Amino acid sequence: MSTNKSTLKRLVDTAEHLVERGIDKRVRIAVTGLSKAGKTAFITSFMNQLLHVTDNDQLPFFKPAKDGRLLASKVSSYDELHIPEFKYKQSVSYLVKELPEWPPSTTGISQAQLDIRYKIKNEWLRKVQKQSHLTIDIIDYPGEWLLDLPLLRLSYKEWSSQCLELIKQNRSDSIADWQEQSGQLIYQQPLSDEQITEVSNGYKTFVKNNFSKDHTYNLLQPGRFILPGELEGAPVLDFFPVTDSDILHSDWDSLAQDSLIKTLEKRYNYYKKQIVQPFFKEYFEKVDRQILLVDCLEVLNGGYQNYCNMQFTLIELLKSFHYGQSNWLKRMFNPSIDKLLIAATKADHVPPEQHRPLEAFLQDMLQEARNDIQYEGIDLETMVISSVKVTEAVMAEHQGQKLMCVKGIELESGEEVINYPGKLAEQLITRNDWQEHQYDFINFAVPDNLTNGILPHIRMDKVLQFLIGDKFR
Amino acid sequence: MKDKPVKISIKKNNVSVEKVDEQLFDYQGNKSIVSEANDGRRSLSASSKPRLLAKSPKKSLRKLFWPSLFTFVAGAAIYESYLFIENLFTFNVVLGGVATAVAGLALVSGAVGLIKGWISRRKLKRRKDKQQVFNQLLAENTYGEGQKVIDEVNGEISQHLDISGPMSVYSSQKQQVHNDRELIQIYSQTVLDGLDELALQAISKHATESAVMVALSPLAAADMALVAWRSSKMLQEVSRIYGCPQTTLGRLGLTKQVMTNMMLAGASDMLADAGAELLGKSLTATVSTKVAQGIGVGLLIARMGIQTMKLCRPVEFTNDNKPKLSYIRKSLYSKITTILKKSEPSQDAIKSQGEQHDRD
Repeated sequence: MSTNKSTLKRLVDTAEHLVERGIDKRVRIAVTGLSKAGKTAFITSFMNQLLHVTDNDQLPFFKPAKDGRLLASKVSSYDELHIPEFKYKQSVSYLVKELPEWPPSTTGISQAQLDIRYKIKNEWLRKVQKQSHLTIDIIDYPGEWLLDLPLLRLSYKEWSSQCLELIKQNRSDSIADWQEQSGQLIYQQPLSDEQITEVSNGYKTFVKNNFSKDHTYNLLQPGRFILPGELEGAPVLDFFPVTDSDILHSDWDSLAQDSLIKTLEKRYNYYKKQIVQPFFKEYFEKVDRQILLVDCLEVLNGGYQNYCNMQFTLIELLKSFHYGQSNWLKRMFNPSIDKLLIAATKADHVPPEQHRPLEAFLQDMLQEARNDIQYEGIDLETMVISSVKVTEAVMAEHQGQKLMCVKGIELESGEEVINYPGKLAEQLITRNDWQEHQYDFINFAVPDNLTNGILPHIRMDKVLQFLIGDKFR
Repeated sequence: MKDKPVKISIKKNNVSVEKVDEQLFDYQGNKSIVSEANDGRRSLSASSKPRLLAKSPKKSLRKLFWPSLFTFVAGAAIYESYLFIENLFTFNVVLGGVATAVAGLALVSGAVGLIKGWISRRKLKRRKDKQQVFNQLLAENTYGEGQKVIDEVNGEISQHLDISGPMSVYSSQKQQVHNDRELIQIYSQTVLDGLDELALQAISKHATESAVMVALSPLAAADMALVAWRSSKMLQEVSRIYGCPQTTLGRLGLTKQVMTNMMLAGASDMLADAGAELLGKSLTATVSTKVAQGIGVGLLIARMGIQTMKLCRPVEFTNDNKPKLSYIRKSLYSKITTILKKSEPSQDAIKSQGEQHDRD
């Protein structure tokens, strides 16, 4: 009799384990966005909301939390030990220290893993097991590196033509220097490594200035030129595009192997194969959910050219995720990413009544990409969010008119200001539309009243619900 | 609204600012929701659908039948009672006085009832308008117009219920940045969800009660009266929970449903009788058909209750939160089987009783 009982118990145990394995879930979230879009702040807030989920009543749209089914959460250690940990505590401490500031921008890759324990909702599963847990992986990496993703689809020649087009649109002083320098090169002849380094440094300076100072959002690649990370000074980064249209249109097959053009092509291909491909393969493989963060405000300040640049860059980026000539990417991503969220960040910098036009603006900007993605049968949504809310909406009177503004501390001056950024137009697509409107979105600093408890946010609960809400079954 | 950006430094100029929460609605209040309809991107699809026009009222003699008949009968009755009272006065002054007082009382209470009914009917109509306003706000994603409507509805509800608990949750969860859709959704899931639960409890109670009554009652005619009485009681209670209490007189449409309900109860009676006849009128057969009939009536009442909920809830149900008949059905089955099998305790009854305890 007792042996029977123990056998039965063992059977039940095994069944329980099996069910647990079936229920246990892992969700990997890819946080994508160009640099300065707010990835680090987003991940910090995302983790913050989840870590305080049990006593956080500021998440009305996050269903599992609202139903009280989330029991506890913690930061856990992950299996990929070679990836540095995302410094959550440090990021929060930046926000709450005596002279608070935004967490510094990311210079390397890091990962965070969260474990959430929850009560099972499904009636049948609940009979076997009352609780389960969900593991969430989030990766933080410099947004600049994301620009390399479209490179995977381009040969050296195609990339050079694309660069030529982009340089033509973008006339700045730094490009003139480099163009003069590169104009003297004879591509058919061999060139010493030192000279190649010199010319490529000129190109690097141009790309860097263009990206970080002018905020043009040009798709000037490679991303590692802007932020080399651990590859600083390595010869793999010593190459540059051919911007001579005669040479671009000539046939390269007959050229000698040691000619400059062949050397550059070799290095480009090496970069693509050894740097870019492994990076995306390792960090973006097995991704279930993706969020694309877009900073619309800088673009609105910048004007039509910036708008076009960003549109082009983002559409190219999204293309790489969903379809493209490089099949391994398609195979890798398509079956797994089933939800994409496109979010306009820094919503707290915009008066609340203008969130709707801002969302419409974002939708219009990415109309083409959204259409393509939705064709693939992927759940796609757009939102206007703010990871950490640092302003307050107020009504202020200006020249007899009541305006809805935002009040906060301006980042540059450190003074408290009330800002009315201008009225967002319903239609903002053509060059004429842009000339009629003028915007002044300012950057706000972190106020000194944040605590290391729950961070104030705008619509992070909706983000949580969209990205992981369906996983707590 | 201004188009050009403005930046004001607080240090330099002394600007008066107001919190958005309080001032927003004066500022946006004059904007009509209807005129905004074409601005919302999503509303395009909503307004592009064909809509049935209201029937043009046709004057016909048939329409005049009821009012004229009513006036005639009422006039005759008043005249008759006048004659009757006059007659009594000639007979005895005290008797006449008492009769006058009674008639006056009847008149006044009748008038009050009518007026109350009329008011409650108007309330229901207003509730329907609110539903439409909320629907429009939900579809259009506007900003700054929802709170006003929510406050109005809230005022109506709080006359009949203490909702200070859910309201404090609501006000702690809403932010000044939430747009109308989000505000309404939060309101719906914090305050109205609680009301739904209350209403479902009430419906479940009434449905079970009448199911048991019908199952036990020996007379078909008594069944009909029972169902009519219980369902109108339930109707009143459910509508009161949502803050627009209805009297049976007041809501003609709902009363019509009660009538239909009665008819159905009668029909099922006839069927049951026929069935019992076929089964040879054995006692067990009659009992089990009565039970089945009781459950049927209970379900009908539950359906009516859910209809009433749909009519009275200020924000319409979505697919996620719409009340399900299965919730009531479960408790109905278990209760009626428990109660009826108590009379002849068997193995099954003990089992179902045990289940009942487990659930409790």
